[in-house]
Amino acid sequence: MGIRDYFSRHVFKHIDVYKIDDFALEPPKVHRLNHEVITHSIIPEVKVKVHSVQLYLRMKCKAVSHVLTERRVNAKSYLVKRYVKQEIKAYSHELKPKVKVHDAMRYIRDMPLEISDMLKYQSKKPKLLPGEMLLAWYSPVVEGAVIKLVWNKQRGTLLVWYNPQSRHYKAKGVYLIRKLGFGAKPEWRWE
Amino acid sequence: MASNNFLGYMMIEGNEGSIRGVALITDTRGIPKEFVRTDPLRPEALDRILYGEAFTSYAKQSLILENLLDAVSNDPQIWLCNDEEILEPLRKVSRIKTLMLEESPHVPLDAAGHIEASAEPNVYLIQAYRNGAPLRAEFPEGTRSDEVEQSALILTEAGETMNILEPFTRLSRALTYIATGRA
Repeated sequence: MGIRDYFSRHVFKHIDVYKIDDFALEPPKVHRLNHEVITHSIIPEVKVKVHSVQLYLRMKCKAVSHVLTERRVNAKSYLVKRYVKQEIKAYSHELKPKVKVHDAMRYIRDMPLEISDMLKYQSKKPKLLPGEMLLAWYSPVVEGAVIKLVWNKQRGTLLVWYNPQSRHYKAKGVYLIRKLGFGAKPEWRWE
Repeated sequence: MASNNFLGYMMIEGNEGSIRGVALITDTRGIPKEFVRTDPLRPEALDRILYGEAFTSYAKQSLILENLLDAVSNDPQIWLCNDEEILEPLRKVSRIKTLMLEESPHVPLDAAGHIEASAEPNVYLIQAYRNGAPLRAEFPEGTRSDEVEQSALILTEAGETMNILEPFTRLSRALTYIATGRA
């Protein structure tokens, strides 16, 4: 406060008065006494598993592993009014596949035996006449059981057809001998 | 089952797509006495899933082999095969002497009936013929030495009157014929 204000207030009893235009108080906060209540469900989620279905016209669904009462939860049963009409078939897979076995003698009965040339192992060579040449030696062959001998020229083997009823068991070797000369045919010669 | 001097030949062929087997019983001249075959076994898609790559072995060693042995009415004195995969099961199921036979490039042994042990386990050279190379014979594991000698005797006796490996050629041709209709 200055001297001028001092004399003016105490001598002349003047006091400055100011007008406050922008004086504004915040409005008082008002709190409601009511509490907001948040509700949480304590009922667990219930999943219904269907283990088997019997195809009735109307089917009742219910939870399997929970006890549900109307008082605890607003559970209701529903009627299923739609169903699959087609039958459901279960197939079993055979773990051990079946193998059918057939008699097949007809495939092999008339098939000849095929005997290889053993000439390289034969130490005793037959006596040949002049103009003869030893081509091959096939052994063992059961002479008494032979029906037919055919020389497989391409493979150098001997095809032998045996009589299955034969009782002969004595085996020999058979030489294939070529005769030199025009038109001469190879000849079989038993040991 | 009749007991005799017959020889038994077992052949099972095929792959993942189709497997079939044949069994032949011959006398000691090679004349067939009995011949049976299986229908081709074709694995379904589910079999392939369940068994995977083991299906072929399972089919050969169990399904086809057992059914062929069941179907054969003549009991041979020895079973011969040319596939190592079925050697052990053939012995186990048939319960008679069994061996796998092959040709050998070996020079002939001293005399017919001679046996020579090979460097390979369970493998012997058997001189079954008077003239010719010895046969390479592989026996199932655990075969006793007396069984080897008995088997060699059987082969040597048969070798007097037949080429012991020859029926395998016929079996192979028969399998081809059955499968394709062409010899």
